Amino acid sequence: MWKMILRRVLILIPQLFALSIIIFVMAHFMPGDALTGLIDPTISPEDIEIMREQLGLNRPLYVRYFDWVTSMLQGDFGRSFHHQRPVVDVIGERLPNTVRLSLVATIFTYLIAIPMGVIAGRYREKIADRAIINYTFFAIAIPLIVFALLNVYLFGFTLRWFPIQGSVDPRLATGTFAYHISRLQHLILPALTMALLGTAGIVNILRSEIIDNENSDYVTTVRAKGAPRRIVYNRHIFRNASLPLVAGFGFALVNLLSGTAVIERIFSFPGMGNLFVQSINGRDFSTANTLIMMYGIIGVVGTMLSDIFMIVADPRIRVK
Amino acid sequence: MSDVLLALRDLRTSFRIQGKYYAAVDGINLDVYENEVLALVGESGSGKSATALTITKLHNENYTRMEGEVLFDDKELLGLTENQLNKVRGRRIGMIFQDPLSALNPLIRIGAQIEESLTFHTDLDASGRKARALELLEAVGMVNPALTYRQLPHQLSGGMRQRVVIAIAIACKPSLLIADEPTTALDVTIQAQILDLLRDLQKETKASIILITHDLGVVAEMADRVAVMYAGQIVELAPAMELFTNPQHPYTRSLLASIPSADKQDDHLHVIQGVVPPLQHLPREGCRFSLRTPWVPENIHELEPTYHEISPGHLVLCTCYKKFTFDGEEAV
Amino acid sequence: MDVNKTPSPFRVMCREIYKDKLAFCSLIVFFTVLIGVFIWAALLDTSEVMRQHLLRGNLPPSREFWLGTDSTGRDTFNLLILGTRNSFIIALIVASITSVIGIVVGLAAGYYGGHVDNVVMRLIDFMTMIPTLMFIITMTVLLPNTIRNFGLILTVFGWTGMARSIRMVSLRQGVMDYVKASKTLGSRNIVIMFREVLPNILSFTIVNLTLSIATTMGIETGLTFLGFGPPPTMPTLGLAVANAANPLAMQLRPWLWLPAALVILVMVLCINYVGQAIGRAADARRRRV
Repeated sequence: MWKMILRRVLILIPQLFALSIIIFVMAHFMPGDALTGLIDPTISPEDIEIMREQLGLNRPLYVRYFDWVTSMLQGDFGRSFHHQRPVVDVIGERLPNTVRLSLVATIFTYLIAIPMGVIAGRYREKIADRAIINYTFFAIAIPLIVFALLNVYLFGFTLRWFPIQGSVDPRLATGTFAYHISRLQHLILPALTMALLGTAGIVNILRSEIIDNENSDYVTTVRAKGAPRRIVYNRHIFRNASLPLVAGFGFALVNLLSGTAVIERIFSFPGMGNLFVQSINGRDFSTANTLIMMYGIIGVVGTMLSDIFMIVADPRIRVK
Repeated sequence: MSDVLLALRDLRTSFRIQGKYYAAVDGINLDVYENEVLALVGESGSGKSATALTITKLHNENYTRMEGEVLFDDKELLGLTENQLNKVRGRRIGMIFQDPLSALNPLIRIGAQIEESLTFHTDLDASGRKARALELLEAVGMVNPALTYRQLPHQLSGGMRQRVVIAIAIACKPSLLIADEPTTALDVTIQAQILDLLRDLQKETKASIILITHDLGVVAEMADRVAVMYAGQIVELAPAMELFTNPQHPYTRSLLASIPSADKQDDHLHVIQGVVPPLQHLPREGCRFSLRTPWVPENIHELEPTYHEISPGHLVLCTCYKKFTFDGEEAV
Repeated sequence: MDVNKTPSPFRVMCREIYKDKLAFCSLIVFFTVLIGVFIWAALLDTSEVMRQHLLRGNLPPSREFWLGTDSTGRDTFNLLILGTRNSFIIALIVASITSVIGIVVGLAAGYYGGHVDNVVMRLIDFMTMIPTLMFIITMTVLLPNTIRNFGLILTVFGWTGMARSIRMVSLRQGVMDYVKASKTLGSRNIVIMFREVLPNILSFTIVNLTLSIATTMGIETGLTFLGFGPPPTMPTLGLAVANAANPLAMQLRPWLWLPAALVILVMVLCINYVGQAIGRAADARRRRV
């Protein structure tokens, strides 16, 4: 088992390498470089050329790639041209918001998905199952953007149930109780919007896994032992049916994160997705590249973690 | 004859296909006596396994209808609730399945899977259950019970897993074992070992066994009596010796003729034409095997086939056995 | 016996759609909308519709302008008609190209297995791990903003889903007896792949293609909303929906964006209902229950 986990961790190296190469090549084609962040009309072009030389920007590509990776490993991601501050600081401000949003969205997703999948799988072809199937059908079909806009229009503007701008009411003092409540209120609609669409895949997997397991031989064995229905489901079927959920966790994470760009934009939510759109629009590529790198690393590492969970959870994988 | 342990009365099991129910087991009457091995024989699709699962109502009731009576120890099972059935399943009736690779929960250790039925049906405490589980593993011929106890299903070979499945089935000393193709998925050498094990266990526990198989070799080795099934019906029922020496129903005779044998002089092997028709297209009237013996004249079949007793305990369905000949043979 | 004769996949497909009332209605609604839009759009001149009339900006719906006008005075209804047509064409083309790539790659990976499969799967896995949307957005600003580039970028990042599903089914087909039989007869791999395996997974492929049209329409809308869509001279559904990016317009002038959002919703649902029915035709197991 340890050998397999180690092997899986080692795959991370070429993946991260590929990711960094792609971003580096992309950055190479982007207008501007590390110095664009310092633009200042008082510095003459000659001086900039000297500084370029000093910073090694005229050296061969592979050297610059190496320098770039080294500085990233040391936590230096360059300066934001738009904000005139280190990229790390700019992102650092938005990071907690996105983390909060994703966290709440994930919690909602599983809170909705697991009971639904279980009910649909267990009471197959009953009314509840039909309703859930129809729901997942809609959730898979409807594009996030359309669903989000309709939600904002209906629950935000028309019914005024939820605030729809920003991450917190700016009139409230930081740290007060009302401040935290306001923050939570601002999270609910965007998180619920993402969760309601995101659950569909999980519900479907869970449902079909439960049905498959129900009809599998080992369940017949268990029933032939005289096991009460409760034990058949809780101890045997659910445990086996939840394995693919673990495997899909990394994918769900990436999916969720890419949704944040659209969602944060619609809700004017000051998070990383919104920051990314702004920095691309403002041609602030050092920030954009850092964000892509971050999301990429989260995706690659997240997938690795779910693979490792899988190795630990499913003994059958370990033999191969 | 000893007492009847299990009696099936007019048993009918129907599966739902495209919204309609079709009987896969179509009116079976069968007695299983105490301390006997009864073999249920037939091609795939003849309804053997469907019968086996119906006895303890293990079919998924969402798309299966089970009708008729199952009298076990004079108690009717099909009318029982799930909870009442659970007192019979595992405790009085043990089951062994065809594919040991999929019959065990892949995530749970062998020991725990054996102990599960003990927790349902006995008052043993944890250590008592463990002792019994180890005892069972030894009884089914595990070389190192303590090791197997801790292992997961995928760490065992097919033959070993089938021994575990048997251990689970006999854990509560049931009076009836239903073995559904217990050796089909195994290698030939392992098959013999498993059959030996089953026979030894039967002698020791005096439990009755319903042995479901399509392998007549297995029948010859194990069975006291044989019921031959075709298309959801029992077409012939006889003591094993009688059946092999004096087969009557055309289907039984075709089955026996299709076994390759060293001492047979024929240079070609008999093959039964066609396959068992799918459930939806199964004719529900007349002799169901007649479709596959088109050379036989229609009039030798009964319109509504009944059982004919040829000798004590030897029953045949339909009158066609009297005049049946293989294709190309002269009528006698 | 004729009970063993199986009807052709196309017949099964038609039967499944016809039997499923919802899918049948969806099909009719979908084509009615589409044909209507295409005919209406043929009567319009894109540059005329796109011309700005600053004097008549932000008009509410009236007899003259059925859905009002946008902030630059363009007729929203005509924009919607052109947008629906353009969005559908973009989605159809992108989905078709990604499908072809997906089929070829997926078939090759599933059929050959081994190293080919390994490399392809590593690539597909990698592409599902990375933030594709961000790469797409970055690419749209790096390349000149033309409709061809836009389609190209969506294609580059869009083929993996199809390839993955095709690989999965062809992996199952690859071991099936008819392929083995064909191999022993000496057929060439390419021939087996496209003449024997592909027809067997055809209905499955069609389901994926239909669904990927719907998905692509969603992606186009999202990108245009964020400001990274096709060139602004080309009206699309996304462009109309993007009116909602302005909170005032969203709240006070829903006729600017709501109809477009609803058109997307209806089209996407219709496509999915039809796709589902075709899917049932493709999967005999689901057909039965």
